[in-house]
Amino acid sequence: MSLYLFALLAFLTLAGGLGVVSTRNVVHAALYLLLSLLAVAGIYLILFAEFLALVQVLIYGGAVVIVVLFAIMLTRSSEYPRISDNRQWPLALVAALGLLGVLAAAFLAAPIQITQLQSPDFTALSGSLFTKWAVPFEIASLVLLVALIGAIIIARAGKNER
Amino acid sequence: MSTVTENLYLLTPEFLLAALALLVFALDLVLPESRKTWLAWIGMAGLTALAIFSVRMLAGRTESLYGGLLAVDQFSLFFKVFFMGLGVFIILSSVDFVKQHLSHPGEFYGILLFSILGMNMMAQARELVTAYIALELLSFSLYVLTAYARGNPKSNEAALKYIIIGAFSTAVLLYGISMIYSVAGSTHFDALAETLSSPGQAGPVLWVGVAFLVAGLGFKLAAVPFHMWAPDVYEGAPLPVTAYLAIASKAGAAALALRLISEGLVPAREVWPHWQIILAALAAASMLVGNLVALAQRNLKRLMAYSSIGHVGYLLAGMAALNIGGGMAANGIIFYLVGYAATSLVVFAALISFFNQTGQEEIADLAGLADRQPLLAAAIAIGLFSLAGLPIFAGFTIKFYLFAAVAQGGFLWLAGLAIFSSLISLYYYLQVIRQMYIQPVPGTAPDASGHGEEPSHTASHGQAVAGHASETAAAALRTPTGMLLAVVVAGLVAVLALGVYPGPLLEAIERASQVILPGI
Repeated sequence: MSLYLFALLAFLTLAGGLGVVSTRNVVHAALYLLLSLLAVAGIYLILFAEFLALVQVLIYGGAVVIVVLFAIMLTRSSEYPRISDNRQWPLALVAALGLLGVLAAAFLAAPIQITQLQSPDFTALSGSLFTKWAVPFEIASLVLLVALIGAIIIARAGKNER
Repeated sequence: MSTVTENLYLLTPEFLLAALALLVFALDLVLPESRKTWLAWIGMAGLTALAIFSVRMLAGRTESLYGGLLAVDQFSLFFKVFFMGLGVFIILSSVDFVKQHLSHPGEFYGILLFSILGMNMMAQARELVTAYIALELLSFSLYVLTAYARGNPKSNEAALKYIIIGAFSTAVLLYGISMIYSVAGSTHFDALAETLSSPGQAGPVLWVGVAFLVAGLGFKLAAVPFHMWAPDVYEGAPLPVTAYLAIASKAGAAALALRLISEGLVPAREVWPHWQIILAALAAASMLVGNLVALAQRNLKRLMAYSSIGHVGYLLAGMAALNIGGGMAANGIIFYLVGYAATSLVVFAALISFFNQTGQEEIADLAGLADRQPLLAAAIAIGLFSLAGLPIFAGFTIKFYLFAAVAQGGFLWLAGLAIFSSLISLYYYLQVIRQMYIQPVPGTAPDASGHGEEPSHTASHGQAVAGHASETAAAALRTPTGMLLAVVVAGLVAVLALGVYPGPLLEAIERASQVILPGI
């Protein structure tokens, strides 16, 4: 049962990703991205990672895609030249397929370990996040602060510009 | 729970550094436009005080925090002081530039301080996720700083390229970390070594994971073949940020890589020595490509970018030679970082002074600098001689020490290649020096300057580029302002001191590398 579900979700994820890179309309690309991100949330659910699935839907499916859509609409996407093909694509294709080959070979050669999946306890998760992993957690908040300030600086015109 | 947080106070310098950055942001809101330079002085005073405080508080201590997530030891202490000292000099050389060319000075210094915090954490991390997020703090700060010259399209382009390549390399790095975690079940550096050396567990997935990790760090270090972004980003970024990218961000990534390799890969050397070959190949490619492509550069920032790629090659050669009990390679790498930083500071501070007065940054623009401003020309010349590795300057001692360690570590061919590519680098550094000392001042007739040599290809290019330079640009330049002069003089003193008498520094470095590679 969960195998079929996984196959379906994996197909949706890949189809969404393929749609993002192949469509020529930026808004469609954002919507394909949404499809892909939501399917990933589904995969998290199969793995009993409820918290991750929740965060994935809320932040990626909700906030990020909405912001992307707003940005596209506010910046008048029609004025941008349409996405064009790059002459280097055959080389990129070879590189991508080569990487796929290496990764597939590596994962197929690895012994499959079957472990009983269980849902992590929310309390335990938050406990370890705020005790053992507190330092990376706090640094992440500083990263966000720098990103926020940086975004404002880049978006705001200054007085002293050349 | 108390066991986890009981020695939290060891992170006081980091808390205070974050507070300092926030203080700069907050004061920026209150200070009037004419007093923004105060923020730079606050930043510098704070960094100096914190460096002294860290030494007094942490000297001689070796402790592990959060169940091995972080290490507060002599290694991280050395790098903390090094990074904060670098921060002081970078701020000192940015003040004039920021005043002239950039807006939002308060945020400039605040973000710079946060990036130093990121590097401090990178030197302390003993676990991949912590290392990754600290690296992100550094990278995000650098993206913003690169985009700081908003009116300059080149700066925008550079920042865009940097952020896209940076995001891509982060994805590669994280993918590698996830593969390592899937096999090792832990992201600690020492767990990686343990898994790599146990035959039952190590397999292709782990090896590919390590390769991805190396590739991700290779992007951040700008090692060939992951270097394509560096020249464009270095060229587009504001000049003090270019200096910061070339010196500090490399040192931060090198500190992280040093601990990762020493704790995660060196113990598995007997079972899986392939990482040495990967690193040696990257080192050889970086040395050759960096130094050969630098020959063709006409822009000073691009020249420094390719030259720094070559220097990363030397550092990687040292990393390939890391071994248990072979503290010499680790010493060599740290010593190289310090010497390279001092030398580059001299060159960049002089270039910033030149740019502030003329707005020029092509190699040909330096023509006749020796007549226009002898002090600047002498500083750049000494800096470049040191980068090329000529004796009595720091460049010679650091190269000698590092290459000897590489040869001793079993990579004689790599040491030979390093010496060979140093010779190549001497050629393009001499080209710049030739511009300054032999080429006539642009705008004056060649015979009027008294040299009267035949016009060469570079000379005609120089006149073509600088032909439209205004009268004032060709005239004599002022001496650097007090702050830039201080950086140049301090850098020159350090370059000469390290070149002649490196003993005391080497002792401190030995204490640092003993921690990550104990037992000789």
